[in-house]
Amino acid sequence: MDREKKETDRSNKGTNFTRREFIKGIGIGGGAVVLFGQFGVHGLAWALSGDPQLKMVLVDYAKCTGCRTCEAACSSRNRPVSIDHQELPGLGNPRYANIRVHSFNPDVDVPSVCAMCADTPCVKACPVDPDSKTGRRALYRDQATHTIYNDPGRCIGCRSCAKACAGQRTGVIIPNPATGKPERMCTLCGGDPQCVKRCPFGALSYVEVRRDRKFYGLGPEKIAAELGKSWYGIADFGGIK
Amino acid sequence: MSGKPGYHGVILNIDLSTGKSEKVVVPPEDLDNFVGGQGLGMKILWDRLKKPGVNPLSPDNPLMFMPGPFSGLPVPSSSRTCVVTKSPITSPVKSDYPHASTVSYSNIGGFFGPEIRFAGYDGIVITGKATELCYVVIDDGKVEIRDAKKFRGMRTDAFDKAILSELGDRRFKTVYIGPAGENLVPYSSILHTAGRAAGRGGVGCVMGSKNLKAIAVKGSGQPDVADHKRFLAAIEKARLALRNSAFAKAMAEQGTARAIVGNSNAGTEAVRNYREGTFPEADKISGDAARRDVWVKDIACYCCPLACKKSGVTRGKYGGIVHDGPEYETGVMLGSNLLISDMPGLLKAIYTLDDLGLDQISTGNVIGFLMEAYEKGLIDRNFLDGIDLKWGNVDATLAMIEKIAARDGVGDLAAQGVRALSRQIGQRSEKFAIHVKGHELAAHNIQANQPRGLSYATAQRGACHMSGDNIAMQNKRAMLDSIGLCLFPTFEPKLEEPMLSLLSAITGREYDKAEFEKTGERIFNLEKMFNYREGFRREDDRLPDRFFEDAFTIGPKKGSVLDRNQFDAMLTQYYKDRGWDTETTKPGKLKLKELGLDSI
Repeated sequence: MDREKKETDRSNKGTNFTRREFIKGIGIGGGAVVLFGQFGVHGLAWALSGDPQLKMVLVDYAKCTGCRTCEAACSSRNRPVSIDHQELPGLGNPRYANIRVHSFNPDVDVPSVCAMCADTPCVKACPVDPDSKTGRRALYRDQATHTIYNDPGRCIGCRSCAKACAGQRTGVIIPNPATGKPERMCTLCGGDPQCVKRCPFGALSYVEVRRDRKFYGLGPEKIAAELGKSWYGIADFGGIK
Repeated sequence: MSGKPGYHGVILNIDLSTGKSEKVVVPPEDLDNFVGGQGLGMKILWDRLKKPGVNPLSPDNPLMFMPGPFSGLPVPSSSRTCVVTKSPITSPVKSDYPHASTVSYSNIGGFFGPEIRFAGYDGIVITGKATELCYVVIDDGKVEIRDAKKFRGMRTDAFDKAILSELGDRRFKTVYIGPAGENLVPYSSILHTAGRAAGRGGVGCVMGSKNLKAIAVKGSGQPDVADHKRFLAAIEKARLALRNSAFAKAMAEQGTARAIVGNSNAGTEAVRNYREGTFPEADKISGDAARRDVWVKDIACYCCPLACKKSGVTRGKYGGIVHDGPEYETGVMLGSNLLISDMPGLLKAIYTLDDLGLDQISTGNVIGFLMEAYEKGLIDRNFLDGIDLKWGNVDATLAMIEKIAARDGVGDLAAQGVRALSRQIGQRSEKFAIHVKGHELAAHNIQANQPRGLSYATAQRGACHMSGDNIAMQNKRAMLDSIGLCLFPTFEPKLEEPMLSLLSAITGREYDKAEFEKTGERIFNLEKMFNYREGFRREDDRLPDRFFEDAFTIGPKKGSVLDRNQFDAMLTQYYKDRGWDTETTKPGKLKLKELGLDSI
């Protein structure tokens, strides 16, 4: 499927350029900081990186308004409904979104989504023995899409993957409260991430990234603390982990 | 459950006197006739308060948090919750009932309304009164009342963090009052996310009267819609309409603050306690100035592409974090209306009002009145407990704000509003006590804007700038407050068709423009029936004398003043067109029958 153009591009027309550029520079997730303003994220290639090149959803935190349209868009695609034997997008209940916006006081909004980690600590934590044919544990990385999948038939609901993700990376994997089986791994919507497409503020991009980016794999609290310090001179958000 | 699409069909009723909570089924015909939000809240108010004169601060007065059928669905800008109750502020000139007052409604954006619907309810109704300060936690079907004594007196910014810390889960959405609400200042607000307020109509005071500090809600469900395919198609159209909207772009750029210069230039701004309509220093507190010097980030409510809210930071003597503002209302009421043009000082005042849980509009209006009375020598510094409340004095304004929230000294009188103050001060000060029915006017001045004067005079919660400048607007806006959609995106005309289509697709009930307005008219008339029963008559729909006597002396609308006869004639025509008695304003039998209100 061809990638459709993002819904809007509210660039900084009419705003004070210097200040906005400054703020934006602080807000982007990573090594892209310098290049972003001039060339745009989509033009970036990370030829120098020795890591596998993985495409993922990149956040420009300065542009995120915390509206959570991405959550609804994600849920709508990844939780379809069947009507008259036809599969249609769902109503976008954010309970089923794989991207989650964490909102803080003072105002910092951190959309958190699977970091597509090259070294997959979640998969490594899975205690289920690899399948003799496929070599897959219950949790595995799909070689074609590079996204993380769980085989619910083999998953024992031990929550090890969620713990590894929370301890070492973003903490996006949440065990189902009833079964303990992992949820909320990004599917990239088959190569057309709906969160990116639907963001009204152009805060999300679908790009190749490398893992020495500034905010790579960090949990939302750590990112918020960093941004809060830069924007407001404060890193205290009331002590919720 | 009613099984009606678009709804859960139940409200959550919490009685703080008994500590009991229960799901109460909403009659399906009420959902058809009153939709949700403001409308459904008014129907519940009408049903529960069967007699006039119920003390608004008594346990009997229900306090309702009402989302609408759009809430919880990813419809652009469908974030609004309407808080509905009986007003602790308004009163009629004459009434047989000591506690007679109007209906009250106050609208709040953010994430609270959608979360109520995720939790499985079409509204939350709080009745009774807790013996000690408490807060309510709603986690889907689980409802718990918890002790909040340790939070007593806590300001809203600190409390916003403290309650989430205690709950340990940032997905909870919370509303709460500040010290002002706990102290029963009549014009107290209810805050959400530390920077969003249901400010008007005294809703925070009613919450305080119930010993309720906060409500926290988290949910995982969602109502279904009647026509899924039509819903998907209409939502696409709605997004498209706003994506290409110049108005939506302007809101993202400056929010409502862009009107601070615009309305000043048009002579429709509240300046110097409504004495003038133009503020020569408007550019210093404008959206441009804020964008340049203050704002760090644009902020949006649930699924809203407008992002009219801003946050930022100021430095210097009044430096600190800015949760919002200046918006038009906050920037004008605390800025031009008090002749304050110091941006950090203005934002400190706005922040402090939110922090204490005071309505920005009423408080700015009250302080403007006191500044004028002080300047004219009707009150002295002694009366003001030593505060040198001169025009433009930020420190004095901040000191007065603290006194009002604490109801300390002169603050106790000022907390009762401009009408009470002018009665106490006398000396013809009622001429510039800027209120209708006891509810202070907002930041739109009217010497050069007679239609907005009609909005203030005839709005059902007392002076209200949001009610609408004519009958069609009033009906439409009552409806917008009922479906859960924000007013702002509807300024984009292309949104109308998809909005009607969405409402039809969600509820399964066909709404065209006429049916939409008819339903709004029904809601507006029900509110009028309530107010009429309390004793409000034509004499209560009156504007302060200032607007008929004090012509502007500066600005492009210099010389403008309202004409009393012309205004009266407009009112008479308004009642006629409404189908109400032109002497008493009683809704006519024919009109009530037409709206299906004759039987209730």
